Amino acid sequence: MHALPLGVSNSKTGTMTARILVVDDDTALAEMIGIVLRTEGFEPIFCADGSGAFAAFMDSKPDLVLLDLMLPGKDGIQVCAEIRAESGVPVIMLTAKSDTSDVVRGLESGADDYVVKPFNPKELVARIRTRLRPTPSGVTDTLQIGDLDVDVPGHEVRRGSAKINLTPLEFELLLALALKPQQVFTREMLLEQVWGYHYKADTRLVNVHVQRLRAKVEEDPDNPRIVMTVRGVGYRAGSSG
Amino acid sequence: MIWRNYLPRLRRFWRVSLQFRTVAITVILSSLAVGVIGAYMSVSIGSNLFSSRRDQINAEAARANLIAQQLFDAAPTTDDTNPVELQTLGVNVQNAVSSSTTSPGGTDIALLRTQGQPLTPQSLQPTSSRNFPDEVVTPEMREQVAGSPGRVLLQSVELPNAAPGIVAGSQLTVSNAGSYELYLVYDLSDAQRTLGFVQQTLFLGGLALVALIGGVTYIVVRLVVGPVRLAAATSEKLAAGELEVRIPEKGEDVIATLARSFNGMADSLQQQITKLAELSRLQQRFVSDVSHELRTPLTTIRLAGDVLYDQRENFPPATARTAELLHTQVQRFEVLLADLLEVSRYDAGAVELEVEPTNLVRLVEDAVDSMSALADERGNNLRVVAPGGYFEAEVDARRIRRILRNLLGNAVEHGEGRPIVVTVDSNATAIAIAVRDYGIGMTAADALKVFDRFWRADPSRQRTIGGTGLGLAISLEDAVLHEGWLEVWSESGRGTCFRLTLPRVRGVPIATSPIDLPPAEPVVELEDADA
Repeated sequence: MHALPLGVSNSKTGTMTARILVVDDDTALAEMIGIVLRTEGFEPIFCADGSGAFAAFMDSKPDLVLLDLMLPGKDGIQVCAEIRAESGVPVIMLTAKSDTSDVVRGLESGADDYVVKPFNPKELVARIRTRLRPTPSGVTDTLQIGDLDVDVPGHEVRRGSAKINLTPLEFELLLALALKPQQVFTREMLLEQVWGYHYKADTRLVNVHVQRLRAKVEEDPDNPRIVMTVRGVGYRAGSSG
Repeated sequence: MIWRNYLPRLRRFWRVSLQFRTVAITVILSSLAVGVIGAYMSVSIGSNLFSSRRDQINAEAARANLIAQQLFDAAPTTDDTNPVELQTLGVNVQNAVSSSTTSPGGTDIALLRTQGQPLTPQSLQPTSSRNFPDEVVTPEMREQVAGSPGRVLLQSVELPNAAPGIVAGSQLTVSNAGSYELYLVYDLSDAQRTLGFVQQTLFLGGLALVALIGGVTYIVVRLVVGPVRLAAATSEKLAAGELEVRIPEKGEDVIATLARSFNGMADSLQQQITKLAELSRLQQRFVSDVSHELRTPLTTIRLAGDVLYDQRENFPPATARTAELLHTQVQRFEVLLADLLEVSRYDAGAVELEVEPTNLVRLVEDAVDSMSALADERGNNLRVVAPGGYFEAEVDARRIRRILRNLLGNAVEHGEGRPIVVTVDSNATAIAIAVRDYGIGMTAADALKVFDRFWRADPSRQRTIGGTGLGLAISLEDAVLHEGWLEVWSESGRGTCFRLTLPRVRGVPIATSPIDLPPAEPVVELEDADA
């Protein structure tokens, strides 16, 4: 398995428009989403079933995936896990259910964010833009969080000489904490800073992704040293060194 | 002390155990019966023994009297008979009488000269056998014996050794020596012993009989109560959800009939429950399917509508207006669909609380803030009064926010531009939020129906905020899901007050609500003074 491509390769050049893979079995909706995306300057690619989704992903190398949760062939959660096993490309789920279990399962399989149908175009585009925006470059090039080194321009995280592969979202989450080591972040603050929500959104997004991040960066995820929980408030960075 | 401990336990056992009660009643009643019978038998046997012994003694004493008289008569005494001879005659008589009785060793004899008779030429010295209990022969008896010659008198006495006895007295006449009294003392302790033995046997027999009856009752009751107990245990299991439990059916008797009808009932219950569970599952599936199937096309319509709406300036006025109408109505449709799905989720029982610690005062302030733009537009003055509630309550914040949005929306819509007061308070068991408006209000009859689905207070009344008619119904379900209350007070012309009361700790029932309903009126004055 090759290294996860971090960052957004196509958009970084600035010459090409971001390519978005839309995986949805409803052709009318897919086409409509396509129209909205083109209006906003994105390039949509379509795939109508779950079993072909991963192949389409590998073929097209998109910058972002819009993934319906209910698909013929293979369900969206499986597709999402397959993509995550191969790449850190942002995945936004389109879900018809706001039921807890489906959303959480989707997030746990690696989706970065989700949009509940019926959504409006502005909401969808806002979510996509947040995920495609370049990581804000810090003043410093390298940051310390716990015993980790965060190379901001290189989008790399190392423990000693070992590289830890993070998705862009996980990297951003870690970076947000590392940039202000003294600050305790509430879930709402992280939702605003990392996910771009300016209103009260689903705090499960934060919970699930903190879990996923800890599973990668912590030596003992049950006893976290990097992403510390502040009971009743939120999270903060573990002290470095 | 021990009684004090055991008595309540015994009383409880009496109340709880049919078996114990039945056995106890049987034992008590049969003990009574056996006791009465035993007492009767004991008394009648005792009196029978006594009377037969008395008759025997009577006959014996008469015979002894006869023998003694004959002996005296056969040895006629003259005036010059030697006193020694006379004395020997007395001893002979005593011996003859002794040997004539049935219980020779047990009978004491005394021969006494009758007092108060004139002096006779000869006289016999009073003689008595050894150990003769002189004190049992009372002066009264001697008088009676002296006064009734030719008869045997009997008297029950207590012997010096405390045994019961009988004294038999009769008169003898000795020629030339006057009249004498012959006393025989009979010891009845053998009869007493017999009676004691009979009584003991009766007592032990009665005790054994009572124990036997108790044992038999225990076994019989057990035979009957056992199946009933089994049926009770089985129905408890059934009630707890073990639908497949049954009672074994044995035989043809009434217990078997009980088992059969119980099992029949369990079968039909199981069928019904399985059917209902299946229906509920189908319903949930249906809700979930409808959710997906309706939402996908609605999303397309929404996206299409919004694209058109965003470009409406480029359209001719009629088309532009069409795009606007499409936009707003799709939104309305969407809200209605969401509410409908929520209601059917409640109907299917497919809702779960997602509780998190929430500061309700802050939540209320947020909700009021988000509503304040609309309220300002209507001229309502939205105020929060929070004497209590500043702690983290375990609630599903999303649902509480939804309830508040509904209540505030209603208050703004019907508040007639007058102030609206939101009160938050708490007590030991509950935290409550009340939304009070001073608008048009409702009649009491209407207030009863506000939580009905799709109910509108006045069909002609203009709806400007555009609820779906399901808002309060869902709010009530949300409150009930929290094990809380959602109540309304309203009066025409005086306004309306909705009060939401939630348990302070999950699972601990609410005792009272911290906010009064109907609302305490000083709130108005406070509000007016502030405004």
